[in-house]
Amino acid sequence: MSLLDVKNLKIYYFTLKGVVRAVDDVSFNVREGEVLGIAGESGSGKSTLGYGLMRLVPPPGRIVGGNIVVSGRDIVSMDEGTLRREIRWKVISMIFQGALNALNPVYTIGKQLVEPIIFHEDVSLKEAYERAAEMVKLVGLNEDVLRRYPHELSGGMKQRVMIAMALILRPKIVIADEPTTALDVVIQAQIMNLFKKIKKELNQSIIFITHDLSLIAEIADNVAVMYAGKIVEYGNSDNVFNTPKHPYTQGLLKSIPRLKSKEKLSWIPGTPPDLRNPPVGCRFHPRCPYVMDVCRREEPPIKDVGGNHLVACWLY
Amino acid sequence: MIAVLYGVLILTGVIIGVTGLSDIVLYNIVDERLRIIKQQLAIKIKDPEQLNRAVEELKQELIRAYDLDKPWYARIPRIIYQIMVLDLGTSRSTLSFSGSNKVADIILERIPNTVLMVTTAVLISSLVGLVVGLWSATKVGSLLDRFTSLISAISYSLPTWWFGMVVILVFAYELRLFPSGGMTTPGLTITDPITRFLDLLWHLFLPVLTLFVALVGSWIYVTRSIVISITKEDFIVVGRAKGLPERVIRNRYLLRNSAPPILTNMILGLAGSITGAILTEAIFNWPGMGSLYYNAILSADINMILALTYIYTLVYVVARFILEVLYVVLDPRVRY
Amino acid sequence: MKKLLRNELLRIFLSSSISKIGIIFLAIMIIASAYVVMFMPLDFGLRYWNNPTFWADYPKLVPPEWVNIFLGNKLLRHTILITEKPTLSLEDTKQYILTYSHDTDQLPQTIVFKLNNITFTYTPIIELSVRRPDGRVINLLVIQPLTSGVSERVDLSGRLEVAVALSRFLKDEFNVSISATEVIQRKLEFKILMGTPVISNGYVDFKTLRGNYMFNVFLKSDDPTARIGSVEVVIFGWCYGLMGTDHLGRDLSQALLYGFPVALLIGVVTSVITAVVGALAGVVSGYYGGIVDEVIQRLCDVLNNIPLLPLLIFFMFVIRMNEELRRTVSPLAVIIIVLVVFSWAGIAIIVRSMVLSIKSQQFIEASVAVGASSIRIMFKHILPQVAPFIFAQMMFLTPSAILSEAALSLLGLSDPSIPTWGQILESAFANQAMYLGLWWWIVPPGLLIMYSAITFVFIAQGLEPIVEPRLRKV
Ligand SMILES: Nc1ncnc2c1ncn2[C@@H]1O[C@H](COP(=O)(O)OP(=O)(O)O)[C@@H](O)[C@H]1O
Ligand SMILES: [Mg+2]
Repeated sequence: MSLLDVKNLKIYYFTLKGVVRAVDDVSFNVREGEVLGIAGESGSGKSTLGYGLMRLVPPPGRIVGGNIVVSGRDIVSMDEGTLRREIRWKVISMIFQGALNALNPVYTIGKQLVEPIIFHEDVSLKEAYERAAEMVKLVGLNEDVLRRYPHELSGGMKQRVMIAMALILRPKIVIADEPTTALDVVIQAQIMNLFKKIKKELNQSIIFITHDLSLIAEIADNVAVMYAGKIVEYGNSDNVFNTPKHPYTQGLLKSIPRLKSKEKLSWIPGTPPDLRNPPVGCRFHPRCPYVMDVCRREEPPIKDVGGNHLVACWLY
Repeated sequence: MIAVLYGVLILTGVIIGVTGLSDIVLYNIVDERLRIIKQQLAIKIKDPEQLNRAVEELKQELIRAYDLDKPWYARIPRIIYQIMVLDLGTSRSTLSFSGSNKVADIILERIPNTVLMVTTAVLISSLVGLVVGLWSATKVGSLLDRFTSLISAISYSLPTWWFGMVVILVFAYELRLFPSGGMTTPGLTITDPITRFLDLLWHLFLPVLTLFVALVGSWIYVTRSIVISITKEDFIVVGRAKGLPERVIRNRYLLRNSAPPILTNMILGLAGSITGAILTEAIFNWPGMGSLYYNAILSADINMILALTYIYTLVYVVARFILEVLYVVLDPRVRY
Repeated sequence: MKKLLRNELLRIFLSSSISKIGIIFLAIMIIASAYVVMFMPLDFGLRYWNNPTFWADYPKLVPPEWVNIFLGNKLLRHTILITEKPTLSLEDTKQYILTYSHDTDQLPQTIVFKLNNITFTYTPIIELSVRRPDGRVINLLVIQPLTSGVSERVDLSGRLEVAVALSRFLKDEFNVSISATEVIQRKLEFKILMGTPVISNGYVDFKTLRGNYMFNVFLKSDDPTARIGSVEVVIFGWCYGLMGTDHLGRDLSQALLYGFPVALLIGVVTSVITAVVGALAGVVSGYYGGIVDEVIQRLCDVLNNIPLLPLLIFFMFVIRMNEELRRTVSPLAVIIIVLVVFSWAGIAIIVRSMVLSIKSQQFIEASVAVGASSIRIMFKHILPQVAPFIFAQMMFLTPSAILSEAALSLLGLSDPSIPTWGQILESAFANQAMYLGLWWWIVPPGLLIMYSAITFVFIAQGLEPIVEPRLRKV
């Protein structure tokens, strides 16, 4: 049985100028120890999906349909108190996008790290601090950061603290939303290595959200490619990277610079659609090189093209 | 901070020097001294001829001592020093409550009255502003929210002193509920402290109401925008994601982080209100520095005006200083 | 593209109701100001407002006429009757008749006869009399002008001859005796003139006589050249005009109207100059950096940390104390200059930080690489980007200038030759209007100050979503 089962999840933003269908009918699952990569251009609804999994969609957003089942319990219908006490951070934790302001500036790192332990578990403060110290060492920081304030740390250090914080209760799933985007290249590589280490040493399930497919290739077991609020391709990393089926995935892969390949870099022409008013039929059709009549009329169903490789495209 | 004070003092020195006001001020001081000396001398020297000569000599001496024989720019350091220690001679128009006519005495006596009125108003309005501001911050975009921006617009454009006049018209003239001015009922002979206190409150009501109305709008608005900007910070979402109780989020995340900017506003607001209350004090004839200022202007009492301008600037500078100290305590980001 | 952006910003601005209200308010202000500039003399302050004789024929301290709508007992209107030609011309007598219909119980404050420009060769005799609705005639007064070309102004109240005439009238017609001095002391002139005595419990009371009164002026002379230029009878009422009058009888509505262009001028001139100075300082400071930047920033620090009002008061006071300055500089100009001096720093600091971030934008770096001159870069690239921000700041500066001028007016430190709303309030305060319940003297000027200030605050609030994109509604 899988750890996390998302079925037909719909998250809309009800803005004054219309309904933004940021996540529209998305389904996937995550197994124990699996790293699922979620890829897509910015604005495709990845972060919204992440917030949705924590049930923290900011207003005017709201989960309007579907289920999120974690270890057999549906959190969409769960009451707020139970969710807070039993699920958040304990079962699912999240490293937020642009995490440089994610730490409370007026408290020390130590205090913020032990905070969830104290509120979720019945342990002494001393014990909590010991666990925090251990976790800090695991993410490659010196123990004395516990006494420091957020503004005294560099961007990379803060991100490590965030990772330590996300792991502190040893949750079943960690959502990492663009964990490297705000960092410079060298630090990015270090953080990626940290994630690989966590995956290997802790056998941690991770949902790794990024707009950068090359990062996913490094770490993910399975990949979901999102376009305009929908998953357009979903499958095993090897399958998706070696034999991309959806024209959008193909386009994305062509735009990644590769050292060995001699292929010319190209970018998909056009811009992502306005999610308040997405194109009829396949949402990708205005940008698709293989567009057919049916694409303009009907939405393609998601289809298994073999080996649990799912794709939503009329070509198959 | 101290540079600001010096800046203002030098500017003041130059201005009154160029316009010849410093001469008037200094001559005023010299004449005052001479008058006292003359009285003393008159006891010793009986011959009026001789007395006049002695006085004249002393006068020349004093003129030299105060650099009045030199051009105005040579006197700037001296006049700055005198302003700083409030050695500004005597007032032409006012006596202190205890009967002194020394500028310093008069002002020092009145500072507590101004502070009493303004702090009361600032405390009440900031408290109300805090509560309403926090409340409306949780309902962004609602009708209430629009209402707060309307209230703040009205507050911003309301001439406080005019509102004071209207308040007197309504509450003191029409309804006859409150006294139209002053701090105590004249001729009140009861010395019972509770009666005196109630009398003070009764007199305090209208000026405080006026300042309250003028201040509360901006308080609501400021609190609201500070809290809203912090609600949008990432660490609040992280706090929620961590599964912390709402109470903890509110106290440790939201309020704790709003405190430094709100406090900044409170202290600067207090300083601002003290200077802003000059006219309100005058309207209510409140025996503070403001009505002193007003009367000094009406009677062209230069020494007094100079001293009060300095004190008002000092209030600002002191507020800034307190703020810097407090910030070190409140916000780890400014600690070194 | 640029045009598109501008239209979009305009749309955002106009989409909020608060900016619409602001624009409407501003339009009203501009229309009122245009009216004043076109139809009122520019030296209104000196020539009329501060000239008490001009207001002699206005009732003093009376509320506006429209209060009659709310008050059941009607307040007597102020009436001026005037004629230039004699109604009847006999051989040796010219008779001027002015008819006045009185239809309330309230008596006038006073009645004044004005005989303007009496010309003659031989001294004539002029008789003043009243024919009441009940047909009784009171001969009030006889005057003999001494020199040709003079004007006579006869105020019926407090004048002994008139009181004597009234006392005699009362005795002759109603057999009620009240001495002339008592008439004056008890201010009974118009009760007698326009009423019938009623005696109850030994007290004499008067019942107002309604109907047509005829005020007669007889010019008696053999001299055919004798004439009166014009005859006026002013019945001083208990309400006047749209906005009432002050202690000098000045028609407040005129000064209130005149206040519009003045407020607009003070506000706009101050904010425009401040914005220009602040923007220039900020751009220069941010663009050049180094020692220039350092100096400007220090200066801004100092200026930002001093209390405006006391210093403003102080400077205005200094100007007033110095004879030479007082003659040469208008206090209004000084207010504007001081406000500018103390406000530009706020704009400069923020513009500087914006310039610093804009400077690092690529196309600016590119322009520098291409060798564009600094001035060109500033005007072409930097100013357009900071312009909306500066404009919003200007909108906040305008009300503070208007309010500062009003505050200084209250202290009597503004320009007395140009009436402003603040000055109306100053005279109201000095004459204790609040303690006398003279609300029409206090409420309207303050409301107008608020109105003009809030106009700009609304516009500034409407600009917020443009200046601060995070506040934009999605
Ligand atoms: N608070 C919000 N209000 C309205 N729309 C939003 C909000 N947050 C995100 N959106 C919209 O939802 C869509 C998905 O956004 P997001 O989940 O942030 O995408 P990604 O993380 O893939 O960049 C975008 O079209 C965005 O404009
Ligand atoms: Mg995102």
